[in-house]
Amino acid sequence: METVLSIQKLTKNFGKLCAVNQLDLEVKRGQVFGMLGPNGSGKTTTLGMLMGVTNPSSGSFSWFGEPSTHLTRKKIGAVLEHPIFYPYLSGQKNLELNAMIKGANPANIVKVLDIVELSARKDDKYRTYSLGMKQRLAIASALVSDPIILILDEPTNGLDPMGIAEIREIVKRIAADGKTIILASHLLDEVQKVCTHFAVLRRGKLMHSGPVDEVGKGEETVEVMAYHDDLPVLLQEFIGSATIKKENGIFQVMMKDGFHSQDLNKFLFEKGIITSHLITKKKTLEKQFLEILAEAH
Amino acid sequence: MLHLLKIDLKKMTSYRTFWVICGLYFITLGFSTASGMEILKWIASKFEDFGSSLNVNRIPLYHFPDIWQNLIWFSGLFKLVLSIMVVISITNEYQYRTLRQNIIDGMSRFEFVLSKVLTNLLLSVMSVGMLLLIVMVTGLIYTPELIWSDILVGTEFLLAYFIEIFAFLSYALMLGVFVQRSGLTIVLLMLSHMIEAIIKVNLFRESLNPSIGWLKQFFPLESITNLVPLPFARYAFQEIQDYVSITAVAIALGWTFLFNYFSYLKLKKADI
Ligand SMILES: Nc1ncnc2c1ncn2[C@@H]1O[C@H](COP(=O)(O)OP(=O)(O)O)[C@@H](O)[C@H]1O
Ligand SMILES: [Mg+2]
Repeated sequence: METVLSIQKLTKNFGKLCAVNQLDLEVKRGQVFGMLGPNGSGKTTTLGMLMGVTNPSSGSFSWFGEPSTHLTRKKIGAVLEHPIFYPYLSGQKNLELNAMIKGANPANIVKVLDIVELSARKDDKYRTYSLGMKQRLAIASALVSDPIILILDEPTNGLDPMGIAEIREIVKRIAADGKTIILASHLLDEVQKVCTHFAVLRRGKLMHSGPVDEVGKGEETVEVMAYHDDLPVLLQEFIGSATIKKENGIFQVMMKDGFHSQDLNKFLFEKGIITSHLITKKKTLEKQFLEILAEAH
Repeated sequence: MLHLLKIDLKKMTSYRTFWVICGLYFITLGFSTASGMEILKWIASKFEDFGSSLNVNRIPLYHFPDIWQNLIWFSGLFKLVLSIMVVISITNEYQYRTLRQNIIDGMSRFEFVLSKVLTNLLLSVMSVGMLLLIVMVTGLIYTPELIWSDILVGTEFLLAYFIEIFAFLSYALMLGVFVQRSGLTIVLLMLSHMIEAIIKVNLFRESLNPSIGWLKQFFPLESITNLVPLPFARYAFQEIQDYVSITAVAIALGWTFLFNYFSYLKLKKADI
């Protein structure tokens, strides 16, 4: 699949603080790519560099296989951190301005206002909008040039549950249209619900990157112990076992998809073995991410 | 180019403050320059009430060719009003962070600066146009014996006026780019002449080093002031410079280029 964005060793230092540290990433056409990381992990800084507002300290990146210029940016729709508009202009006038800068067809404005359901309020001044409306106008402005790529940075931040659901719905609809989307978020749940691929950042460093379905499906591990010599043999026999390891005298059984600790327990019980120790360990990837995301900032 | 100008004007034309300040500028500029003669006449009529007489035509304020330098020098005083508009326009972009979004949307940093510079050019051209109109109308009304060659004699001041306005607006833009906060920028803008004067006084105490007095004309704000010399002393029978000096034009143009170039340099390097 065609690579739209390729990042090599991208780094940004703010004085002593290394906000983005030797980041390597690839985003391919059609992906909904999540950048997951706690607050302060360098998501916005990375996107700022990709969009030409933050100067990288070192490293490089290319859009569509070419070094980035302001002309490249016209083909990308992006909202970083907060919606930014002229408060004294109406939503409509703000979008007209965005379209002028991007060299977009002004006829698109009607369409994008419709997508984000703001048509009724388009002539009101931006400063009278609610936060949810501001976020939606931001998505509209990113869409106005019918871009190949859409970049959204915490698009649901600060919204109530209904606003969050609305925005996610909009993002999914846009993704279904075949656009490539890069979505930065500190919510695992959001990335899982919306994205196809993702990368995890922590203090500016890339911790993991891969498809999203790995996370949800990640096998369960069960720690098990019983005072019975046949235990290793029976664990092998159990059809739900993927791999079995012995650590400190305790067996670690990685379960196949769809099998859980209760299935193993039932199997052993039917074979006449009563366990003395049985612990379900969370799906490993998810647990790891939740730890990273819960990190104090 | 035209596209960039249109973008910047689009930001302004639905902005009430823009219309208030520009309206204030062009209306006061128009009225105060055009009404000078009527005020003189009014003063003269008061004098007559007291039994003395004052012949307003003895002071050829509004006669070609004097009128060019007289009105243009006077109009130069109003450029501060216009420059406040320029400051608000650029500092808004920082305050609302719209500069950041403009770049994200695909403007280059050079194009952004250029769009502001083009608006400055337009405002300067409009000021010149306004002045041309007022000078022609009032000059034709008040000049007692019209000699056509006299009308053309002072037109060089129009060019000097254009540079004066554009240079000062460029200075205001640069100040805004560096300071980024509207209130502080406006205060600095108003104090600029004073600050420069203090520096000059301390640098050029005649007793200290009389040989470098000629350097004064190279100071940025002085160079702008030098474009159109104060004309009124001639009515007290003093010699004045009644032409535009090429050196003054060259120095002011040099500064104008530098002001805009510094704006660009600052923006080019910054994280925004
Ligand atoms: N302009 C700046 N000057 C100094 N430090 C900054 C600046 N912008 C961001 N940072 C720091 O860089 C780190 C990463 O920030 P950011 O990219 O905003 O994280 P995220 O978007 O993941 O929440 C944070 O520690 C933040 O305080
Ligand atoms: Mg952020």
